[in-house]
Amino acid sequence: MTEKQLIARVIAGDRLAGRALYDTHAPRVYSLAYRLSGDAEKAREFTQDTFIRAFSRLSQFRGEAAFSTWLHRITVTVVSNARRSEVRTAREVTLDEAHSIETAPEAEPDLRESIARAVEELSEVYRTTLIMHDIEGYTHAEIAEILGVPEGTCKSRLSAARAQLRDALAAFKE
Amino acid sequence: MDENRFDDVITNLPDEFKVPDPPLEEMWKVIEAAHFTQTRRSTMRSTPWLAAAAALLIGIGIGRYYPSGKTATTSSSAAAAASNAATPVADTSAVADAYRDQTSQYLGQAAALLISLPAKSGTPKADATFANKAADLLVTTRLLIDSPAATQDPKLRSLLEDLELVLVQIARLRGERNKGDLDLIHQAVEQGDVISRLNSAVATTQSSE
Repeated sequence: MTEKQLIARVIAGDRLAGRALYDTHAPRVYSLAYRLSGDAEKAREFTQDTFIRAFSRLSQFRGEAAFSTWLHRITVTVVSNARRSEVRTAREVTLDEAHSIETAPEAEPDLRESIARAVEELSEVYRTTLIMHDIEGYTHAEIAEILGVPEGTCKSRLSAARAQLRDALAAFKE
Repeated sequence: MDENRFDDVITNLPDEFKVPDPPLEEMWKVIEAAHFTQTRRSTMRSTPWLAAAAALLIGIGIGRYYPSGKTATTSSSAAAAASNAATPVADTSAVADAYRDQTSQYLGQAAALLISLPAKSGTPKADATFANKAADLLVTTRLLIDSPAATQDPKLRSLLEDLELVLVQIARLRGERNKGDLDLIHQAVEQGDVISRLNSAVATTQSSE
Protein backbone atom coordinates (compact mmCIF):
# COMPACT_ATOMS: atom_id res chain seq x y z
CA MET A 1 0.00 0.00 0.00
CA THR A 2 1.40 3.40 -0.94
CA GLU A 3 1.79 6.26 1.51
CA LYS A 4 -0.93 8.17 -0.30
CA GLN A 5 -3.32 5.23 0.20
CA LEU A 6 -2.35 4.99 3.87
CA ILE A 7 -3.08 8.69 4.34
CA ALA A 8 -6.51 8.27 2.74
CA ARG A 9 -7.28 5.39 5.08
CA VAL A 10 -6.17 7.33 8.15
CA ILE A 11 -8.50 10.16 7.16
CA ALA A 12 -11.26 7.54 7.01
CA GLY A 13 -10.41 6.49 10.58
CA ASP A 14 -8.31 3.37 9.95
CA ARG A 15 -6.15 2.73 13.02
CA LEU A 16 -3.91 0.19 11.32
CA ALA A 17 -3.10 2.63 8.54
CA GLY A 18 -2.31 5.22 11.20
CA ARG A 19 0.00 2.77 12.90
CA ALA A 20 1.75 2.02 9.62
CA LEU A 21 2.40 5.72 8.99
CA TYR A 22 3.55 6.11 12.58
CA ASP A 23 5.95 3.16 12.37
CA THR A 24 7.52 4.62 9.26
CA HIS A 25 8.02 8.15 10.54
CA ALA A 26 8.03 8.12 14.36
CA PRO A 27 11.74 7.27 14.88
CA ARG A 28 12.88 10.24 12.77
CA VAL A 29 10.32 12.58 14.33
CA TYR A 30 11.40 11.51 17.82
CA SER A 31 15.04 11.96 16.92
CA LEU A 32 14.42 15.48 15.62
CA ALA A 33 12.29 16.34 18.66
CA TYR A 34 14.97 15.01 21.01
CA ARG A 35 17.80 16.86 19.32
CA LEU A 36 15.82 20.11 19.30
CA SER A 37 14.62 19.79 22.91
CA GLY A 38 17.53 17.90 24.51
CA ASP A 39 15.12 16.05 26.77
CA ALA A 40 13.68 12.54 26.38
CA GLU A 41 10.41 13.30 28.17
CA LYS A 42 9.82 16.41 26.09
CA ALA A 43 10.74 14.53 22.92
CA ARG A 44 8.09 11.97 23.75
CA GLU A 45 5.50 14.67 24.34
CA PHE A 46 6.46 16.56 21.17
CA THR A 47 6.33 13.39 19.08
CA GLN A 48 2.86 12.58 20.39
CA ASP A 49 1.69 16.13 19.72
CA THR A 50 3.19 16.04 16.23
CA PHE A 51 1.27 12.92 15.22
CA ILE A 52 -1.97 13.94 16.92
CA ARG A 53 -1.80 17.30 15.16
CA ALA A 54 -0.78 15.71 11.84
CA PHE A 55 -3.55 13.11 11.89
CA SER A 56 -6.15 15.72 12.74
CA ARG A 57 -5.01 17.91 9.82
CA LEU A 58 -4.31 15.12 7.37
CA SER A 59 -7.13 16.20 5.10
CA GLN A 60 -5.25 19.48 4.60
CA PHE A 61 -2.14 17.67 3.33
CA ARG A 62 -2.19 18.22 -0.41
CA GLY A 63 0.87 16.18 -1.31
CA GLU A 64 2.81 19.11 -2.76
CA ALA A 65 5.73 18.25 -0.49
CA ALA A 66 6.75 14.83 0.80
CA PHE A 67 4.70 13.64 3.76
CA SER A 68 7.88 13.45 5.84
CA THR A 69 8.66 17.10 5.06
CA TRP A 70 5.15 18.13 6.10
CA LEU A 71 5.43 16.04 9.28
CA HIS A 72 8.85 17.41 10.22
CA ARG A 73 7.58 20.94 9.68
CA ILE A 74 4.91 20.24 12.29
CA THR A 75 7.56 18.84 14.63
CA VAL A 76 9.71 21.96 14.35
CA THR A 77 6.65 24.13 14.97
CA VAL A 78 5.57 22.11 18.01
CA VAL A 79 9.06 22.26 19.55
CA SER A 80 9.53 25.93 18.68
CA ASN A 81 6.22 26.93 20.25
CA ALA A 82 7.06 25.00 23.40
CA ARG A 83 10.49 26.58 23.68
CA ARG A 84 9.02 30.06 23.33
CA SER A 85 6.63 29.22 26.13
CA GLU A 86 9.53 27.99 28.27
CA VAL A 87 11.45 31.21 27.66
CA ARG A 88 8.45 33.25 28.83
CA THR A 89 8.24 31.12 31.97
CA ALA A 90 11.96 31.46 32.62
CA ARG A 91 11.69 35.24 32.50
CA GLU A 92 9.33 35.09 35.44
CA VAL A 93 12.08 33.81 37.72
CA THR A 94 12.13 35.66 41.05
CA LEU A 95 14.98 37.84 42.21
CA ASP A 96 15.86 35.34 44.92
CA GLU A 97 16.09 32.56 42.41
CA ALA A 98 18.15 34.73 40.10
CA HIS A 99 20.54 35.49 42.95
CA SER A 100 20.94 31.82 43.78
CA ILE A 101 21.75 31.10 40.16
CA GLU A 102 24.40 33.83 40.06
CA THR A 103 26.11 32.66 43.20
CA ALA A 104 25.97 28.96 42.45
CA PRO A 105 29.43 27.43 42.24
CA GLU A 106 30.37 26.60 38.68
CA ALA A 107 32.69 23.76 37.86
CA GLU A 108 35.06 23.93 34.90
CA PRO A 109 32.99 22.39 32.10
CA ASP A 110 34.39 19.73 29.81
CA LEU A 111 34.18 19.97 26.04
CA ARG A 112 30.91 18.03 25.84
CA GLU A 113 29.20 20.39 28.28
CA SER A 114 30.65 23.40 26.52
CA ILE A 115 29.34 22.25 23.16
CA ALA A 116 25.90 21.53 24.57
CA ARG A 117 25.76 24.92 26.24
CA ALA A 118 27.02 26.73 23.15
CA VAL A 119 24.40 25.07 20.95
CA GLU A 120 21.70 25.82 23.49
CA GLU A 121 22.67 29.50 23.57
CA LEU A 122 22.35 29.94 19.81
CA SER A 123 19.34 31.86 18.62
CA GLU A 124 16.31 29.75 17.70
CA VAL A 125 16.77 29.87 13.93
CA TYR A 126 20.53 29.28 14.07
CA ARG A 127 20.14 26.47 16.55
CA THR A 128 17.41 24.73 14.56
CA THR A 129 19.40 25.00 11.34
CA LEU A 130 22.62 23.73 12.91
CA ILE A 131 20.90 20.79 14.61
CA MET A 132 19.00 19.80 11.48
CA HIS A 133 22.04 20.02 9.21
CA ASP A 134 25.06 19.07 11.32
CA ILE A 135 23.39 16.66 13.75
CA GLU A 136 20.30 15.26 12.04
CA GLY A 137 21.83 15.23 8.56
CA TYR A 138 19.13 17.09 6.61
CA THR A 139 20.24 18.73 3.37
CA HIS A 140 19.94 22.47 2.86
CA ALA A 141 17.11 21.83 0.40
CA GLU A 142 15.21 19.75 2.96
CA ILE A 143 15.71 22.29 5.74
CA ALA A 144 14.65 25.12 3.45
CA GLU A 145 11.45 23.30 2.57
CA ILE A 146 10.66 22.36 6.18
CA LEU A 147 11.34 25.84 7.55
CA GLY A 148 9.82 27.61 4.57
CA VAL A 149 12.87 29.74 3.78
CA PRO A 150 15.08 30.06 0.68
CA GLU A 151 17.98 27.63 0.50
CA GLY A 152 20.43 30.53 0.55
CA THR A 153 18.99 31.72 3.84
CA CYS A 154 19.46 28.26 5.25
CA LYS A 155 23.13 28.23 4.21
CA SER A 156 23.82 31.66 5.65
CA ARG A 157 22.12 30.69 8.91
CA LEU A 158 24.28 27.58 9.18
CA SER A 159 27.41 29.60 8.52
CA ALA A 160 26.46 32.12 11.18
CA ALA A 161 25.56 29.38 13.65
CA ARG A 162 28.92 27.69 13.17
CA ALA A 163 30.72 31.00 13.58
CA GLN A 164 28.95 31.66 16.87
CA LEU A 165 29.64 28.12 18.04
CA ARG A 166 33.30 28.51 17.21
CA ASP A 167 33.49 31.80 19.11
CA ALA A 168 31.84 30.19 22.10
CA LEU A 169 34.39 27.37 22.07
CA ALA A 170 37.39 29.53 21.21
CA ALA A 171 38.54 29.87 24.78
CA PHE A 172 38.24 26.20 25.42
CA LYS A 173 41.64 24.74 26.27
CA GLU A 174 42.37 21.18 25.28
CA MET B 1 40.61 25.95 19.30
CA ASP B 2 42.08 25.76 15.82
CA GLU B 3 40.28 25.16 12.51
CA ASN B 4 40.91 21.41 12.38
CA ARG B 5 39.80 20.89 15.95
CA PHE B 6 36.59 22.81 15.31
CA ASP B 7 35.94 20.74 12.19
CA ASP B 8 36.26 17.63 14.35
CA VAL B 9 33.72 19.10 16.78
CA ILE B 10 31.24 19.65 13.95
CA THR B 11 31.84 16.17 12.54
CA ASN B 12 31.32 14.57 15.92
CA LEU B 13 28.22 16.56 16.87
CA PRO B 14 25.85 13.62 16.22
CA ASP B 15 27.80 11.56 18.74
CA GLU B 16 27.59 14.35 21.30
CA PHE B 17 23.79 14.42 21.05
CA LYS B 18 22.93 10.73 20.96
CA VAL B 19 19.24 9.90 20.86
CA PRO B 20 17.78 7.34 23.30
CA ASP B 21 15.55 4.59 21.97
CA PRO B 22 12.13 6.10 21.28
CA PRO B 23 9.27 4.72 23.43
CA LEU B 24 7.29 3.83 20.32
CA GLU B 25 4.58 1.72 21.93
CA GLU B 26 3.90 4.15 24.78
CA MET B 27 3.67 7.11 22.42
CA TRP B 28 1.39 5.23 20.05
CA LYS B 29 -1.07 4.39 22.83
CA VAL B 30 -1.56 8.09 23.53
CA ILE B 31 -1.72 9.04 19.84
CA GLU B 32 -4.11 6.22 19.00
CA ALA B 33 -6.43 6.99 21.88
CA ALA B 34 -6.31 10.75 21.26
CA HIS B 35 -6.92 10.74 17.52
CA PHE B 36 -8.99 7.69 16.76
CA THR B 37 -11.13 7.90 19.88
CA GLN B 38 -11.77 11.57 19.26
CA THR B 39 -12.79 10.77 15.72
CA ARG B 40 -15.24 8.26 17.12
CA ARG B 41 -16.62 10.51 19.82
CA SER B 42 -16.35 14.07 18.57
CA THR B 43 -18.94 15.42 20.97
CA MET B 44 -16.75 14.55 23.95
CA ARG B 45 -13.75 16.24 22.34
CA SER B 46 -15.32 19.68 22.45
CA THR B 47 -16.23 19.34 26.12
CA PRO B 48 -13.34 17.80 28.09
CA TRP B 49 -15.08 18.53 31.39
CA LEU B 50 -17.96 16.37 30.30
CA ALA B 51 -15.58 13.47 29.79
CA ALA B 52 -14.14 14.02 33.26
CA ALA B 53 -17.57 14.10 34.85
CA ALA B 54 -18.59 11.00 32.94
CA ALA B 55 -15.53 9.13 34.14
CA LEU B 56 -16.16 10.12 37.75
CA LEU B 57 -19.61 8.66 37.47
CA ILE B 58 -18.24 5.43 36.05
CA GLY B 59 -17.35 4.35 39.56
CA ILE B 60 -20.99 4.73 40.51
CA GLY B 61 -22.15 2.96 37.41
CA ILE B 62 -19.88 -0.01 37.89
CA GLY B 63 -20.85 -0.24 41.55
CA ARG B 64 -24.48 -0.61 40.58
CA TYR B 65 -23.62 -2.70 37.60
CA TYR B 66 -21.16 -5.12 39.17
CA PRO B 67 -21.31 -5.20 43.01
CA SER B 68 -18.08 -6.70 44.35
CA GLY B 69 -16.26 -7.24 47.65
CA LYS B 70 -13.08 -8.88 46.42
CA THR B 71 -9.58 -7.70 47.22
CA ALA B 72 -7.76 -5.13 45.10
CA THR B 73 -5.71 -6.23 42.13
CA THR B 74 -3.67 -4.51 39.47
CA SER B 75 -5.08 -3.09 36.28
CA SER B 76 -3.04 -5.54 34.24
CA SER B 77 -4.85 -8.43 35.87
CA ALA B 78 -8.08 -6.82 34.71
CA ALA B 79 -6.80 -7.08 31.18
CA ALA B 80 -5.82 -10.69 31.80
CA ALA B 81 -9.30 -11.40 33.06
CA ALA B 82 -10.71 -9.73 29.98
CA SER B 83 -8.58 -11.96 27.80
CA ASN B 84 -9.64 -15.00 29.76
CA ALA B 85 -13.25 -14.06 29.13
CA ALA B 86 -12.64 -14.84 25.48
CA THR B 87 -11.48 -18.39 26.27
CA PRO B 88 -14.07 -21.16 26.50
CA VAL B 89 -14.00 -22.67 29.99
CA ALA B 90 -16.16 -25.08 31.90
CA ASP B 91 -17.30 -22.72 34.64
CA THR B 92 -18.31 -19.69 32.62
CA SER B 93 -20.09 -18.04 35.51
CA ALA B 94 -16.88 -18.09 37.59
CA VAL B 95 -14.96 -16.46 34.74
CA ALA B 96 -17.69 -13.89 34.33
CA ASP B 97 -17.59 -13.12 38.05
CA ALA B 98 -13.82 -12.77 37.96
CA TYR B 99 -14.04 -10.52 34.95
CA ARG B 100 -16.66 -8.32 36.60
CA ASP B 101 -14.58 -8.05 39.78
CA GLN B 102 -11.40 -7.18 37.93
CA THR B 103 -13.16 -4.70 35.69
CA SER B 104 -14.75 -3.11 38.73
CA GLN B 105 -11.34 -2.81 40.39
CA TYR B 106 -9.82 -1.35 37.25
CA LEU B 107 -12.54 1.28 36.93
CA GLY B 108 -12.14 2.00 40.62
CA GLN B 109 -8.46 2.75 40.04
CA ALA B 110 -9.36 5.04 37.19
CA ALA B 111 -11.96 6.88 39.29
CA ALA B 112 -9.44 7.15 42.15
CA LEU B 113 -6.92 8.66 39.76
CA LEU B 114 -9.41 11.33 38.71
CA ILE B 115 -10.41 12.16 42.27
CA SER B 116 -6.78 12.36 43.44
CA LEU B 117 -5.75 14.82 40.74
CA PRO B 118 -4.35 17.91 42.48
CA ALA B 119 -6.27 21.17 42.39
CA LYS B 120 -3.45 22.85 40.50
CA SER B 121 -0.54 21.65 38.46
CA GLY B 122 2.34 20.57 40.67
CA THR B 123 5.93 19.82 39.89
CA PRO B 124 6.71 18.31 36.50
CA LYS B 125 7.56 15.08 38.32
CA ALA B 126 4.22 14.99 40.13
CA ASP B 127 2.32 15.71 36.93
CA ALA B 128 4.32 13.02 35.18
CA THR B 129 3.28 10.51 37.87
CA PHE B 130 -0.39 11.12 37.10
CA ALA B 131 0.29 11.11 33.39
CA ASN B 132 2.16 7.81 33.59
CA LYS B 133 -0.59 6.22 35.67
CA ALA B 134 -3.15 7.35 33.11
CA ALA B 135 -0.99 5.96 30.31
CA ASP B 136 -0.80 2.61 32.14
CA LEU B 137 -4.58 2.52 32.56
CA LEU B 138 -5.00 3.37 28.89
CA VAL B 139 -3.42 0.04 27.99
CA THR B 140 -6.00 -1.83 30.01
CA THR B 141 -8.75 0.38 28.67
CA ARG B 142 -7.97 -0.54 25.10
CA LEU B 143 -7.72 -4.24 25.97
CA LEU B 144 -11.08 -4.10 27.71
CA ILE B 145 -12.72 -2.19 24.86
CA ASP B 146 -11.51 -4.78 22.38
CA SER B 147 -12.41 -7.74 24.61
CA PRO B 148 -15.43 -9.92 23.79
CA ALA B 149 -16.98 -8.91 27.09
CA ALA B 150 -17.15 -5.27 26.08
CA THR B 151 -18.15 -6.12 22.54
CA GLN B 152 -21.14 -8.02 23.89
CA ASP B 153 -21.98 -5.25 26.34
CA PRO B 154 -22.60 -1.89 24.63
CA LYS B 155 -23.24 -0.23 27.98
CA LEU B 156 -19.82 -1.21 29.33
CA ARG B 157 -18.15 -0.38 26.05
CA SER B 158 -19.60 3.12 26.14
CA LEU B 159 -18.30 3.61 29.68
CA LEU B 160 -14.81 2.47 28.67
CA GLU B 161 -14.73 4.75 25.66
CA ASP B 162 -15.65 7.76 27.78
CA LEU B 163 -13.00 6.84 30.30
CA GLU B 164 -10.43 6.43 27.54
CA LEU B 165 -10.96 10.07 26.55
CA VAL B 166 -10.32 11.30 30.07
CA LEU B 167 -7.19 9.20 30.48
CA VAL B 168 -5.81 10.56 27.23
CA GLN B 169 -6.20 14.09 28.54
CA ILE B 170 -4.44 13.21 31.78
CA ALA B 171 -1.69 11.35 29.94
CA ARG B 172 -1.00 14.57 28.08
CA LEU B 173 -0.67 16.70 31.23
CA ARG B 174 3.12 16.48 31.25
CA GLY B 175 3.86 19.70 29.42
CA GLU B 176 3.32 23.32 30.46
CA ARG B 177 1.08 23.79 27.45
CA ASN B 178 -1.46 21.25 28.68
CA LYS B 179 -1.75 22.35 32.30
CA GLY B 180 -4.76 24.48 31.44
CA ASP B 181 -6.64 21.26 30.73
CA LEU B 182 -6.27 20.21 34.37
CA ASP B 183 -7.65 23.54 35.54
CA LEU B 184 -10.55 23.18 33.13
CA ILE B 185 -11.41 19.71 34.37
CA HIS B 186 -11.34 20.78 38.02
CA GLN B 187 -13.35 23.91 37.35
CA ALA B 188 -16.08 21.91 35.63
CA VAL B 189 -16.13 19.29 38.39
CA GLU B 190 -16.51 21.99 41.05
CA GLN B 191 -19.17 23.93 39.17
CA GLY B 192 -21.13 20.74 38.57
CA ASP B 193 -20.77 19.73 42.23
CA VAL B 194 -19.68 16.36 40.86
CA ILE B 195 -17.76 15.19 43.94
CA SER B 196 -20.72 15.78 46.28
CA ARG B 197 -23.04 14.07 43.86
CA LEU B 198 -20.54 11.23 43.63
CA ASN B 199 -20.43 10.77 47.42
CA SER B 200 -24.20 10.90 47.60
CA ALA B 201 -24.53 8.28 44.88
CA VAL B 202 -21.96 5.98 46.54
CA ALA B 203 -23.99 6.09 49.76
CA THR B 204 -27.14 5.28 47.82
CA THR B 205 -25.46 2.39 46.04
CA GLN B 206 -24.08 0.87 49.24
CA SER B 207 -27.43 1.07 51.00
CA SER B 208 -29.14 -0.69 48.10
CA GLU B 209 -26.79 -3.75 48.17
